[in-house]
Amino acid sequence: MDNTKQINRVSNYQMILLITIYGLMTGFTYLPAINIPPANQDIWIVYLLSIPYTILYCFPLLYLSNKFNNLNLFQYGKIIMGKFFGMIVSIYYFSFLFISLIIFVGVFIEILDAALFPETPTLVTAGIILITCVLLSYQGFRNIARLGEVIIPIILVIIFLLIILGYRNYDIDELLPILGDSTFKEINLAAMNVGIRFLDVILLTMITPYLSKKEDLNKIFFRSLLYSTILNTLIVVVIQMGLGVEFAKHLAFPFYTFTRLINLGEIIQGFDSLYIISWIMGNALMISGYLYFATVALGEITNRKNSYFIIPISIIVLILVTLIKDNLPILPLEEPTSTIILVMSIFSVLVIPITMLIVYLLRKNKI
Amino acid sequence: MNGKLILLNLFIILAFFLTGCQDAREVQELGITLLIGIDIEDDKLVLTGEVVDPAFTQPGKGDTSQNNIVKYVQGTGNNIYEALRDLVLKFDRLLFGYHNKVIIIGEEVAKRGIVGYIDQLFRSREIRETSYMLVAKGGKAYEVMGINSGLEGIPAMHILKLIQNAKDNPKAVDMNMVNFLRHYYHEGHQTILGVMEKKKKRRINKGSQTEGTEDLELSILGSAIFNKDVLAGYLNGNDTKAVNYVMNNARGGTITFITPLPDKGERLETGTGHNNLSSLVVINNKSKNDVEIKGDKVLLKTKIRVRGFLEEVVGNIDIAKRENLRKMEEACSKAVEEGIKSTVRKVQREYKLDVFGFGLAFNKKYPQEWKKVKDNWDEIFAEADFEIEVETNIIRTGIINTPITMKKGK
Repeated sequence: MDNTKQINRVSNYQMILLITIYGLMTGFTYLPAINIPPANQDIWIVYLLSIPYTILYCFPLLYLSNKFNNLNLFQYGKIIMGKFFGMIVSIYYFSFLFISLIIFVGVFIEILDAALFPETPTLVTAGIILITCVLLSYQGFRNIARLGEVIIPIILVIIFLLIILGYRNYDIDELLPILGDSTFKEINLAAMNVGIRFLDVILLTMITPYLSKKEDLNKIFFRSLLYSTILNTLIVVVIQMGLGVEFAKHLAFPFYTFTRLINLGEIIQGFDSLYIISWIMGNALMISGYLYFATVALGEITNRKNSYFIIPISIIVLILVTLIKDNLPILPLEEPTSTIILVMSIFSVLVIPITMLIVYLLRKNKI
Repeated sequence: MNGKLILLNLFIILAFFLTGCQDAREVQELGITLLIGIDIEDDKLVLTGEVVDPAFTQPGKGDTSQNNIVKYVQGTGNNIYEALRDLVLKFDRLLFGYHNKVIIIGEEVAKRGIVGYIDQLFRSREIRETSYMLVAKGGKAYEVMGINSGLEGIPAMHILKLIQNAKDNPKAVDMNMVNFLRHYYHEGHQTILGVMEKKKKRRINKGSQTEGTEDLELSILGSAIFNKDVLAGYLNGNDTKAVNYVMNNARGGTITFITPLPDKGERLETGTGHNNLSSLVVINNKSKNDVEIKGDKVLLKTKIRVRGFLEEVVGNIDIAKRENLRKMEEACSKAVEEGIKSTVRKVQREYKLDVFGFGLAFNKKYPQEWKKVKDNWDEIFAEADFEIEVETNIIRTGIINTPITMKKGK
């Protein structure tokens, strides 16, 4: 059953904004790239170099989505792989979206615990964000996109404002020597690692049939990739210049700590609250998007409307996040979160799409 | 529809503010610290906090003498957090560090290595990374706390103002927590911190003091230099100024130099003067460090450009003439050169620690060679030759031209 029929068209502009902010949120939150070897002052080069790798990785998904631009990922998965294997593909992508959802909500709680509400129970903070996201998801993706159209520009203005206000803390020498401490191989391996994490392309392939201009899929992908990479590069540069390359690596939330350094004169400080507000808005959008598509995937698997699953999935996420978060931290531990994200990324962006592409090319005439 | 979306957005934001009640801490329940001191006694960490009573900071509310504005509390433990928790058994409020401005490290802690003791300050979100750090020179942190020889009502604010005054006199260092840690992690750049010292003060106002008591004042003159995070020694005010110039940290301050003599025919009749020293107020200063490998030796190079105005001229020179002004510029450059050369020599011989950051310049210029020398960079620094070039630019001479000690005549 086509669960996404209820949603109306999403404009290119809305989609570019959403994918850009989804791609930016990881860097805005915990910036894992600064700890990827060579983990030095050349990480901004790694980010820029990751663009061609991301394009390469995303090629199979983009190719298939362009070919089947009237269908979403689950629907053309079934056509290419057949009913049984198509179902496995849908189950896999549902699991990917579900695990991502748990990680995002968990990280959300973690930063709120660290920055605002250290004594508030996980159940309360997780409950509040999930209630908000349930409401947003019930309105459909079109409304998430429309909300994004309103609040993403606010988030971007806040990011630029914080970057400008923090200028007194910058030491450009932190970025030197350029390429002095890293090898060509290290830089490229890191760029490959960063490039594979552009998972938001999967959401793009799910919304393709409802783009107002389906033929602009590649344009949307390239633009959002470019914008989010440039913004991530800017964040890396600002964090490393403001906090120092090594100290930044020790921080669970580097951009948050950076915003704590900002003050204007003696009196005006506390710009970290501005960061937290924009970060909450961005996360609400991101969690709503992933929640929505997780339920769409479940709807495809069970042949039911996606709205049936929004509340049950949210309750399960709430319980799991509470259980996990009340037992161990998510971000400060290098494992298993990092490995889970990397393995999920490799399978979601590379292994499954390449398999689907090969099968499609082999069965092209029969489809 | 757009209006509805904006409204929804507003509600989402407001909802998060409402959740703050769970963690709300009322101001009357907080022990707001502006200054904390960290010491070691009998192998235990002693944490001293200067807690300000918010009620007394409001004008017209009660007795605003220092005894009533602030309270000093001390806790002991194996680490900072244990000491903080020890405090709650002696003091009726939990210490609240959001507004903390300064952290004073006792000399003993500095000698043992600071970083191992201050993890909690970075890990907890309370104390801002912009808090200044000072070393209590020659004593305990709590020994320099509670002295207020200034006009600020709160001692911590007095100390904060002293630190901020370093911008007008680079004979002191204003290092905050994040920059301290940034330098600590740098390879090829040893850390320096500001110092805090209590000194006896000459009693001028005899009427206001009780007989038999001594007047004390605080001074942040000089700096403490570290081998990584272990205190290695102290630099005096002039040496600190030289380090600040080389590190590009001097934003203001004064340069005093011997007033040059003009050519014989131009000398004017002078009045009496106690010396021939002139002062230049620095408007801005820019330095650039460089290194060069010369055979098996390293040459350290610094280029400094000073822009400033003449604040005091004592000597036999008519600065209304361009060539004399140029001589003043050269004399000023020479004084800076000599001061910095002497400090670099002293640090090379006495401490063998690169507090100037020449190692960073080496890493930038010779990244491959740096990998070979970084482990024993301080030894290489100690043996290196030093070269300095200073260029002074006097852009103003005040509202008089020739020094008032001179008669201009016809």
